[in-house]
Amino acid sequence: MNWTNILNFSRGPLLHVAMIIFVAGLSFRLVRVLLLGWARDRAKNKGSKLWGVIVNYLKGLFVLPFIPWVRRTFRHNELTFIAGGLFHLSLFLVLVFGTAHILVWKSLWGFGWKGLPTPILAFFSAVGIISMIVLLINRLTHPVLKMLTKFPVWINWLVVFLPMITGFIMARHLWFRYEVIFSLHLISVSLLLIWIPFGRISHFLFYFFSKTIHGAQAGKRAVTP
Amino acid sequence: MKSQKTQSAINTYLKETGGWVASQLEACTRCGICAEACHFYQALGNPEYAPIWKLEPLRRAYEQRFTVAGKLKLALGLEKKLADSDLEHWSKIVYEACTVCNKCAHVCPMGIQLGPLIHGVRAGMAAAGVVPADLAEATEKQKTVGSPLGVTDEMWRERIDWITDEWEAQIPVDKAGAESLVVFTSIELMKFPDNLAAVARILNRAGENWTVSSTGREVVNFGYFEADEELTRLFMYRVFKAAEELGVKRIIISECGHAYDAFRWSAPNMMKVPKGVEIVHISEYIHHLWKTGRIKLKEGAFDGETITFHDSCKIQRRGGIIKQPRELLRVLAPRSFKEMTPNKEQSLCCGGGGGVISIKEADANRYAVFEMKIEQLQAVQARAVCMVCSNCRLQFVDSVGHFNLPVKVHGLAELVSRALV
Repeated sequence: MNWTNILNFSRGPLLHVAMIIFVAGLSFRLVRVLLLGWARDRAKNKGSKLWGVIVNYLKGLFVLPFIPWVRRTFRHNELTFIAGGLFHLSLFLVLVFGTAHILVWKSLWGFGWKGLPTPILAFFSAVGIISMIVLLINRLTHPVLKMLTKFPVWINWLVVFLPMITGFIMARHLWFRYEVIFSLHLISVSLLLIWIPFGRISHFLFYFFSKTIHGAQAGKRAVTP
Repeated sequence: MKSQKTQSAINTYLKETGGWVASQLEACTRCGICAEACHFYQALGNPEYAPIWKLEPLRRAYEQRFTVAGKLKLALGLEKKLADSDLEHWSKIVYEACTVCNKCAHVCPMGIQLGPLIHGVRAGMAAAGVVPADLAEATEKQKTVGSPLGVTDEMWRERIDWITDEWEAQIPVDKAGAESLVVFTSIELMKFPDNLAAVARILNRAGENWTVSSTGREVVNFGYFEADEELTRLFMYRVFKAAEELGVKRIIISECGHAYDAFRWSAPNMMKVPKGVEIVHISEYIHHLWKTGRIKLKEGAFDGETITFHDSCKIQRRGGIIKQPRELLRVLAPRSFKEMTPNKEQSLCCGGGGGVISIKEADANRYAVFEMKIEQLQAVQARAVCMVCSNCRLQFVDSVGHFNLPVKVHGLAELVSRALV
């Protein structure tokens, strides 16, 4: 097999098609939800909706991942909170501050920024991968998660895990020839992009809906979200 | 098998699914964190009591109709259409193992409003007529007789007269030109008449121009428990109509959580509400009377044995009346008042709300939840507990008896009336 050809295909047409499906699919889903209509809330406010929304985002972005304030809930979901939090943190750092990824952003937006030192990136990609494995084991064993996890959720896990593991192997120059592992990384990324509009990974989009709704609901009732 | 009744449930789900519902259903990541927020899951450990699982019927109806993924899952046989058996299965879960207390929403990392969405699931059940028999029976009584406890007009009048005599508390009935219409629950009327008398005493002492109505006499809303939209409206309409006829400025909701939720937050979005009539809860109104100096309280009247406050889901977590009862308790028992943990927005539900207490089959569930409440009470060595919801109070009184606990259960109005100077 000629890996140079495969690499050219996966970083050319495949990735482009995947990106088109990603953008078009997510836009479709977003528009579909928006078009379902939004009823006006006529109940008089007791507190400020805006205050609730602001507090809720601050709590969600800064406090929740580190100091979950509902103590019992944290104690009974330590794995989900810690592994889930570390996974998102690692993902963010590697995607936004990974040297190779910055080149991708630069080619897309036309500007780049400074990356993190390689040892730090290596550390966080390892943390991300380990978190994913921990989350998988948790999902396989926790009675509630077992019940909630249907077939598509396993696909979610797989299509997120594959780019992470191939990216890690590539960045550390392990085992594979460059063209081979780069192709595998790009194919898995394409797979992820194509899948996102169909599954629940799209929560990064709908997060802003539910988070705003919760803040507004709490604010309007004058309770802390 | 899908019958007409499942179809009516599905139709209800599709009708109620606007962007508000859809965007939240889409936001769920299946993380399962909400399970540990649910007192029924905590107490009984049944994975099916995880709040997000309670939304399954609504989620399936929504996805299969509106999303590509849902249609794909159907086509590939990964998921089935809703059937009668599903409704029967989930009916037990959403009515008997959920008080719609919405604590789960405060725990969800995405902030999904699980409580209101579960109310939406109940709406489909109500449309399909798959409602626990006890709940349906009480609802029917409220529809035909005017009270879920079966209190007829005549019984109501006799009872009001009896309370007036027994507690020597004047209760104006159908007084035109009154400023405030106070609407009580049948629970107070029949089981906690002292609370009714207490409210009367407080309002009389404050010189309030108030009345009760013989037509709008029931504040409890079993239509709201069932989530039957039409009945919810009918039961509120009776009160609103009375308020309009009497020309009052405000409706004071007595110690009932679901009623406050329905009147304060849902009514304006469901029906025509009388203009310029404010909806207040009795606990915030009593606080207002005290704050404005219209009533005076004996400080430390209940100092002695430790007294604590139970937060009701609909009045505190979803109603925002958090500081008012506490300020009153700090006057009534400055040295003996102790907070349970968790409290306020994070409080642990009593286990009897949302209609659960009216369903005999759910007794084991609510007693199991109450055992956690007992732990909370014992942690502060409470000998008395105060609350502002008769539904909570009913659950407390019944469970305290069931477990034979040395704890006295009070309504806030009752304590305030005893400390009037």
